[in-house]
Amino acid sequence: MKKALLTVFMCLCISAPAFALDGNEMLKKVDRNLNPESFEMYRKLINIEPDGSKKEFVMYSVKKDKDKIASVFLSPASEKGRSTLRIGENMWLYIPNVGKPIRITSLQSVTGGVFNNSDIMRVDYSTEYNCERVEPADAGHILHLKAKTNTVAYDRVKMRVSGKRLLPDKLECFASSGMLIKTLYFKKIKDFGNGIVRPAVIETDSPLYKGYKSIIIFAKVSAKDLPDEVFTLNYMSKVEGLRR
Amino acid sequence: MKLYFRILFILIFIYSSIPGYIFAENKNSDAIDFDFEIPEIEKKSYSFNAEFEISETIKRFDKDSLLFNQKYPDGRDGGTFFQTDLSFKVEGNYRISIVELYARLNDELYYNDEDDWKNDLKTEEAYVSLLPGPSTTVDVGKKVLKWGKGYAWNPVAFFSRPKDIEDPDVTLEGYYIAGGDFIKSIDSPLKTIALTPVILPVSSDINEEWGTEREIIWGGKIYFFTFDTDLDIMLLSGEEAEDRFGVDFSRNISGNFEIHGEAAIILDYVKYITDQQGNLAEKKYDAKNYLLGIRYLTSHDTTYIFEYFRNGQGYTRDEMKNYFALIEAGYQEYINSQSMAKLSKSRQYGSQFYNTQTVMKDYFYLKVSQKDPFDILYFTLSVAGIYNINDTSGSIMPQIIYTPITNFEFELKTTFLLGKNHTEYGEKINDYKVYAAIKYYF
Repeated sequence: MKKALLTVFMCLCISAPAFALDGNEMLKKVDRNLNPESFEMYRKLINIEPDGSKKEFVMYSVKKDKDKIASVFLSPASEKGRSTLRIGENMWLYIPNVGKPIRITSLQSVTGGVFNNSDIMRVDYSTEYNCERVEPADAGHILHLKAKTNTVAYDRVKMRVSGKRLLPDKLECFASSGMLIKTLYFKKIKDFGNGIVRPAVIETDSPLYKGYKSIIIFAKVSAKDLPDEVFTLNYMSKVEGLRR
Repeated sequence: MKLYFRILFILIFIYSSIPGYIFAENKNSDAIDFDFEIPEIEKKSYSFNAEFEISETIKRFDKDSLLFNQKYPDGRDGGTFFQTDLSFKVEGNYRISIVELYARLNDELYYNDEDDWKNDLKTEEAYVSLLPGPSTTVDVGKKVLKWGKGYAWNPVAFFSRPKDIEDPDVTLEGYYIAGGDFIKSIDSPLKTIALTPVILPVSSDINEEWGTEREIIWGGKIYFFTFDTDLDIMLLSGEEAEDRFGVDFSRNISGNFEIHGEAAIILDYVKYITDQQGNLAEKKYDAKNYLLGIRYLTSHDTTYIFEYFRNGQGYTRDEMKNYFALIEAGYQEYINSQSMAKLSKSRQYGSQFYNTQTVMKDYFYLKVSQKDPFDILYFTLSVAGIYNINDTSGSIMPQIIYTPITNFEFELKTTFLLGKNHTEYGEKINDYKVYAAIKYYF
């Protein structure tokens, strides 16, 4: 009996880290399935108020490696030329009128609405989170993610991944208190060409913003070689020049 | 004409204050087209952006203040000053290959009780850039170089005009410079190093604010990004301009807490000090200016910006008291004998040295802003305060900004000036100011 219990215990000890490793590998695959490591894209961000009125923003973004992303607003006119930069957990906002980059935080929102800076300047999930547990779900898995540091916007994330394509379709984001901050829904899987097949729409709602909804629509997601110098404070006012 | 504009302004003011959904073109959230085309994707070689602003400023005079007596020794009809501003700011750029042209013009047409209609057109920036690659930029022309990490003050902004402390985010006018940016990213703990050299020519035609002799002022900045910290070292050197050196830093302590600081030394700075009789003395010394600040965001989206500024070039309490005594004596002399001798002297010293913002040594600045209060989206409520530690005077500025309609911004700001006699804010010409504006971007 003792021998049997010891065997079960040993199996559990060995299998737990192996399962966690699988979860982290799965998370890295989700990251690569969402986009290449170095790429450019256009996004339209729509904030919808409870009365149905909308505010729209169009951004051009470039991303490199796992943790560098730079964006510039193309419209509306009141936001045009504003750019953001993220390197790891460091985030800056450049406003043409102000004329110099200022540090911003992940929980603020440069656009207002339900999306915060961390959602808009998203880096690879595997850069910010460890997968603690993988749970089987209908036609896929649920990845239970835990933030690697306390500077990450959401302490825990529950990511539902569809089994076939290994793409997320729902993300629930929680604060360290366990409170649900927001839910992201990944919709409309689209072939962007060159092997990039990913959801073209992310929708979000939040119990903190009852009745409000925000949507990001992706366009022209394509791989692009980018020099590291693009992801520097001195380059923030020139990001728009990278557009083809 | 004056009344017509006031009425027009009030009507536009009320119109823009009506909740945004009334103007919303499409209120049906189900009508979102996910298979959209983004017209902005098509890149043009040129772009234009413009901002039109209509504003009304109301200032209530403090008729007992010394600066009021200095400006209006005979008094003034009416205790309130009204000004209507129509301002138009346009910026544009044009790019051909690696060459980019950029210009920003600011035209301000204003009407007030004293000047009637006046027009003020400024070319704030106009320069050409060479962009051979992401790591190299060369700029020549009129350009704003905003250095430093502080929000209200930037003691290391050696090549900039001073910020308006009541509106630190407003665009400034640049100087004619030749400069550049040379950036190098490295795969090491020192992740980025960037060099920004600057040459500023001075003559009677350009940059005349810097001196009377023809000369070249040079300087630069080196930026480092290392261990999640921004660091800059800067310098400026010239024959007429005092040599100066500075450093600044900025770092996030946690996701919602940032600290920043600046320090500068101006070698052989000359300060002009008046006594109570109007005799002007020079004091030469190395002026040390520094600033320490924080930016903190709470879980309820409240942002706190707090800064301490040590102005080494500023006047002490006694030096300011002497200046105020000179105005007081000049005003009494004018009342008694109609002689403007002392009062004129005080006016001259005021315009050259004393009647500027942040004129004394030590200040605190605090701004508390709440985003989307009362569940009103695109609404920001803030209160900013400046406190002069040396004479315990200050100002408080409540402000609301509301952007319910795309490309429209509505702003209402009031400024209350508080202080006893012979203090910086207590002797300002106004008791309070109200500023209301509507901006339209296109």
